[in-house]
Amino acid sequence: MKQRARFSRTVVVGGAALALVLSLSGCGGASDAAGDDTLRVLVYGDAANKVEKEIVATFNKTSEVKAVLDTIPGADYQAKLQTIINSKQAPDVFFNWGGGSIKPFVDAGLLLPLDPFIAENPDLKAKFLPSVFNSAVVDGTSYGVPMRGTQPVLLFSNGEVLKKAGVEPPKTWDDLLAAVKALKADGVTPIALGGGDRWPTLMWFEYLYDRIAGPELFQKALDGDRDAWASPDSRKALSRIRELVDAGAFGTNYDSVKFTDQGSPTLLATGRAGFELMGSWEYSTQQDAHPEFARSDLGYSAFPSVEGGKGDQANVVGNTNNFYSVLKKTKHPRAAAEFLKLMYSDRFVKAQLAIGNLPTTTNTEGFLDTAASPEFAKFQYDMVKAAPAFQLSWDQAYPQSAATAMYQALQQFFNGSMDEDAFIEAMQALPTS
Amino acid sequence: MTRTAALSPDGQKVRKDGPSAIGAGRPGFLWAVPAAVFFGLFALVPLIMVAVLSFASWDGLSDPEFAGLDNWRKLLDDPVMIKSLWLSVLLTVLGVAVQTPLSILLGVWAAGHQRNRAVLSAIYFVPMLLSVAAVSVLWRAVLDPNMGVPAQATWLFGDGNLFGKQATAIGVLVFVSTWQFTPLHTLIYQGAARAVPQVLYQAAQIDGAGTVRQFFHITLPQLRNAIITSMILMVVGGLTTFDTVLILTQGGPGSDTTISAYYMYQKAFKSFDYGGASAIALLLVLVSTIISLIVVRLSGYDKMRSTMEGL
Repeated sequence: MKQRARFSRTVVVGGAALALVLSLSGCGGASDAAGDDTLRVLVYGDAANKVEKEIVATFNKTSEVKAVLDTIPGADYQAKLQTIINSKQAPDVFFNWGGGSIKPFVDAGLLLPLDPFIAENPDLKAKFLPSVFNSAVVDGTSYGVPMRGTQPVLLFSNGEVLKKAGVEPPKTWDDLLAAVKALKADGVTPIALGGGDRWPTLMWFEYLYDRIAGPELFQKALDGDRDAWASPDSRKALSRIRELVDAGAFGTNYDSVKFTDQGSPTLLATGRAGFELMGSWEYSTQQDAHPEFARSDLGYSAFPSVEGGKGDQANVVGNTNNFYSVLKKTKHPRAAAEFLKLMYSDRFVKAQLAIGNLPTTTNTEGFLDTAASPEFAKFQYDMVKAAPAFQLSWDQAYPQSAATAMYQALQQFFNGSMDEDAFIEAMQALPTS
Repeated sequence: MTRTAALSPDGQKVRKDGPSAIGAGRPGFLWAVPAAVFFGLFALVPLIMVAVLSFASWDGLSDPEFAGLDNWRKLLDDPVMIKSLWLSVLLTVLGVAVQTPLSILLGVWAAGHQRNRAVLSAIYFVPMLLSVAAVSVLWRAVLDPNMGVPAQATWLFGDGNLFGKQATAIGVLVFVSTWQFTPLHTLIYQGAARAVPQVLYQAAQIDGAGTVRQFFHITLPQLRNAIITSMILMVVGGLTTFDTVLILTQGGPGSDTTISAYYMYQKAFKSFDYGGASAIALLLVLVSTIISLIVVRLSGYDKMRSTMEGL
C-alpha cells in the first residue's frame, strides 16, 4: 500500500511537470489562433482613451474583423511597445509619436508602408495637414496616419489663484518672475511641477533654450555638434533656469511630485499652485479629474518671451502629433486600412475636440466651435498654425538610448545637485544616433 | 554518463556497477528529475543566454551582433554602474541591520503561547500577504508631500521632499522593505524560537538567570541557524531589490537610488541596450554568489552544525 502510494506520486509529479512544459511550449500557438479574427490596437493609456474606445466600437459595428483596444499606462508605453513589437504579442496597429520614435522599427523592417493604402484612398493623406502628415514619413515612405491631435506645451494657470494674488498670465520673463514673487507672497506654490516624472522638468529646458538660443541650437546638438551645449546661449538658458528655481518658483519638493499620478494637476486644480507648464493634454486631464475647474478656472497662455533672446516668441515646443502605424506582419491589412480611415471622419474630429485634443485634419477648423472649449481649441489652433518652429520634445527627438542619462542630468541640474559645467558635459556625452 | 541507473519497484535507485548497499535507503535519482528539469529550463538556459548576450549588441529589434568585450569595457568605465553596486550593497546592509534585530525580537515575542499574541501576530503578518507593487504604490501615496501624511506632519517631514533627496529616498526604500519583509523573517524566528527545548530555560531558571540573560545565553545561540537562513534571504533579496525602486523612486533623484538591478532594467527597457543589461545581470549573479558564499563560510553554516548538540 505504502509503495503504491509513493509510486503514484512520482507519476503525478512527473506528469504535472511534463504537462506544464508542454503547455508552455504550446502557448504561442494558442494565442495565435485567438488572434485570427481580431485587429489588436495598442494605445498610450490616459484620459484620451475614451475617444479611442468609441472609434473601436464604431469600427466593430460594420467590420467582420473585430478591433480590440489595448491600453498601456503612460509612463510604461514606450518600453512595453518596443519589448513586444518583434514578438508574437505584437499589435496590428499602434500609437506612436512619428519621426524618431518609429525610425528603429522602420530600420528593422517591422512596419507596413502605407503608400499602397494611400494610392487606393488618397484621402488617407489629403485629409491631413501636410506638415504634420510628413513627420511620419521616413525615407520618403509614409508609415503613419495622424491620430489624436497636436500637443503644444502651454503655460496653464488657475484663474482664481492668479486673481487673488493680482497676477496676469506673464507675457515676458520679467512678468513671470514678478508673478512668482506675488504668488509666493500669497502663500501658494507659484508653479506646480511633477519633477518625479522628469519629463515635465524637461519642458522648462525646451522652452528656455528655444526662446534664448532659437531652435537652431538644439538641432545642431541633435545633429552631433557637441559644442552647441557649451555655447554662450546654452549657458545663458541654464542661468535663467537656475534663476527661476532659486527664486522658489517650484517650491522645494517638486521632485517628490508626479504628473502621472495626478499630483501636480491636483495642485493646480485645488488652488495650491498658480501655474503649470504642460502639454495640451492638461486640459483633458483636468476635464476628467476636476471637470468644474476645467470649465471655470483653467487658464492658458503661450510661454513668455525672453528679452534679447534669438528665438521667435511664437515658437512652440511639444509633440507635433500622434500617429497610428501598422505592422508588416498583420493578418488584416484590409481591416487596418479601413480602421485608419476613421481618423479623419467628421465624427471623430468632433470627438477629439470634445475632450480638448486638437486633430490636424484639413476640416478641423470648421469644427472648432463644437470643441469642449471653443476658445481653447481656437487658441491652440492659431498658435500651432502661426508658429515659425515646432520643437519636438527632446526625449522624443534623441534616440531612446539617450533618455535615461538625459533625464538624470536634467533633474540634477534643476535641483542643484549638478552645476552648469557638469550638465553641459552630461548633455555632450549623450548618444545622438 | 555510462553508468546506468534503474528504478526499483519502490522508487529507490540501484546502481548496477557498484555496491548496491550504498544506494539502498536513499531517495532515487529520479526524484530530482522534475526539479532538475525546471532548474535547467528556467535558470540555467536563460543564464547561458544572458551570458552570450553580454558579448553582443542588441536593441531587441534586429539580430544581435557580436560586440566582443565592448559591453564589459563600457560597464567598468561607467560611474553610474559603480555607484549602483555601492547602493545595492548599502541598501542590503541597511536592510539586514534594521530587519534582523526587529524580527528576532518580534519572532521571539510571537513564539509565546498567549491568545492575545496569536491575534496580534496574525494582524502583524498582513503586509507579507500584499504584493510588493501594491505596498509601494500605497506608500508612494501616503508619502506624497502635498496630498499625503507629510503635508499634515510638517514638524517631522519638513517640506516632504522625501523622494527628491538621496538620504531620505534611501530611507523610504529601507522603511518600505522593512515594513513588507519583517513579517517573513519574524515567522522564521518564531518557528525557531518555538523549537528551543524548554529544559534549557528550566535549567537556567534554577540557576537564577533572568529573562535578559536567558535571551542572550539561550535563545540567541539557539537561533543561530535561523539567523543565517534569514540573513541569506535578506542579502539575496536586497541585492535583487527592484520593484520598490521602480515604483517609489525610479532610481532618482538623478541616479541617487539607481541600484544595480534597476540600472539593468533601465539599460534593457528604457535604453534598449540588451547587451549592456545582460552584462549587469551577470555581474549581479557573480556578486550575489560571492556574498552568499562569504556569509555561509563565515557563519559555519556549511558544516550544518546542529544547535541540539549536547542535549
